[in-house]
Amino acid sequence: MAGRIAPYVVLLIVWTVLPFILPRNITDLLVFAGIYAIAGFGVSLLLGHCGIVNLAQAVFYGVGAYATAYLTTELGYPSIAGVLVGAVISVVIALFIGWPILRLTSYFLALATLALSIIGNALFYEWDWLTQGTLGIGGIPKLNIGSFALDTPMRFYYLAWTVAILCLVLARNLTNSRTGLMLRAMRDAPDAAVSLGVNLQWLRTRVFMLSALFGSIAGSLFAHYSSFVSVQSFNVDKSFSFLLIAVLGGARAPWGAIIGALFITILPEYLSRLGDFHQILFGVALICIVVFLPTGLAGGLEMLWDRLLRLGPKPKLKQAAHAE
Amino acid sequence: MTSTLIIQAILAGVTNGLTYALVGIGVAAIFKGTRVINVMQGEFSVAGAIITVILLNQIHLPYWLAIACGALSGAAIGALIDILFVRYMMAHGANQQSFILLTIGIAITMSASVLFFVGRSGYMLPAFGGDNVFIVFNAVIRTHAVWLIGIALGITLGLRLFYHHTTIGLAMMATSIDADGAATTGINVNRMRTLTFALGGLLGAIAGILATPLISVDYTLGVTLTLKGFAAAILGGLTNPLGAAVGGVTLGLVEALSIVSISSGYKDVISYGILIAIMIFMPNGMLGRVGRRGG
Repeated sequence: MAGRIAPYVVLLIVWTVLPFILPRNITDLLVFAGIYAIAGFGVSLLLGHCGIVNLAQAVFYGVGAYATAYLTTELGYPSIAGVLVGAVISVVIALFIGWPILRLTSYFLALATLALSIIGNALFYEWDWLTQGTLGIGGIPKLNIGSFALDTPMRFYYLAWTVAILCLVLARNLTNSRTGLMLRAMRDAPDAAVSLGVNLQWLRTRVFMLSALFGSIAGSLFAHYSSFVSVQSFNVDKSFSFLLIAVLGGARAPWGAIIGALFITILPEYLSRLGDFHQILFGVALICIVVFLPTGLAGGLEMLWDRLLRLGPKPKLKQAAHAE
Repeated sequence: MTSTLIIQAILAGVTNGLTYALVGIGVAAIFKGTRVINVMQGEFSVAGAIITVILLNQIHLPYWLAIACGALSGAAIGALIDILFVRYMMAHGANQQSFILLTIGIAITMSASVLFFVGRSGYMLPAFGGDNVFIVFNAVIRTHAVWLIGIALGITLGLRLFYHHTTIGLAMMATSIDADGAATTGINVNRMRTLTFALGGLLGAIAGILATPLISVDYTLGVTLTLKGFAAAILGGLTNPLGAAVGGVTLGLVEALSIVSISSGYKDVISYGILIAIMIFMPNGMLGRVGRRGG
């Protein structure tokens, strides 16, 4: 038991200490990694459990961000109102859009979500009474918990990652639940699932709604953290980034999105003197993962971990158990 | 709305529509031959156009030679994608999801490469026939647009003949219908797939080169062309080059008329909305042929 808990305790300690020892700009990147991981979870759930390539996550990310920006600056509502309104709008949009388009499969669904992403961005651009278009909305207030203002990267780090871990636990519970079993059945043997009375379309729509919820929460956090939002933050490239997070990390492991998010936020920092070179690297990384490591970086690490354990004391333990 | 304005919109719609049609024909050709939807078809166009621009402006090749090299480089990229990735993945039994992600990855890589190597600015090529125009019922059409329309129609018909009357075309069709059967009759299935991708790349590059004198090409154009080409191909039932041409023109006309009657900002909203609606409500396209799978 202690052996199973130990790695988590170590991770928790490392996680708590990190912002104290890292320079401020890296902590800042880690905040973004946490926010992106939340949005990435949604894409990852759809990809890993429903086989759906979702390229529309930037739309829900944008809805969350604009809900927060508009309600807190124009209407002066408290932060929580922005988060909730964004979440409700996103989930409702996901229901009404998801229901018809989720009857499509594979390529057609992927391109439909790509089209949605472009439509969403065009609407953000056109509805400048709401979004201020390319000028953007500035002066979004910092998030407060009670009288405690989350106004430094370090303080926001704890919030963003706590929310991310909560989402991870939620996603994990979901995949281990009855619904998770239905999801697995749907992914691996859809015909059998239908014959056992699983309503595939409703199931996919629900996961799509959950994915949208994650996207929207991430968007609200982003708006509060950066205190400025504009259309450029919610374009198709952002949707590609969220997909990249899910694929790089490995969509079947729940914590894959965290690895993916760390990869795409930290790496550009070290390649910044090469201009936009990191984008090429992201594309190449995506190709390599898809071709050579379909379980993603998380899957690769798990494989490596298993192999290390097998080389280590594990086999002896097994033999001892047999001897008894 | 005067009638001149409508005629002007129709001419623009047909011209843009045939550009989408050429991209869509490439999507359809690759889908027909390999059952893979190429989510990076528009990047072939951008690559072909940018390479032509570089050969023309930096290396000062004659225009016709630059165009030939640009078009062939599209074919070479297509063949490379098959040889490097698709062949390996097919051999390892990759699922459709992996092919979607692969082509998305290639699209990101190519668009990022264009951004990295030639920057954010847009590029244009000289028009065939310079700035000359034709007057049609008081509306104006550039000579280059007439060339584009003619070449696009020629390619559409040529492809039809290619698939029905040449050995390679028939072998490609046989490979896509029944790979094992084709292999037993002595068709090299892998080579046919490489040729299919090369053909798709060639068509994509030609589309890009023909469009560049009319619209400026930058690193963001690929996604737009992919989606519009895909919409054209879907409208036409996806496996039929002639259908993609009809689909492209329809899309171009709807787009042009919506600019005139609604607003240019909603152009994409309307055309992509139509794309989604068509996929849901008309799974076999306008010409109604059966043959699409996966939706």
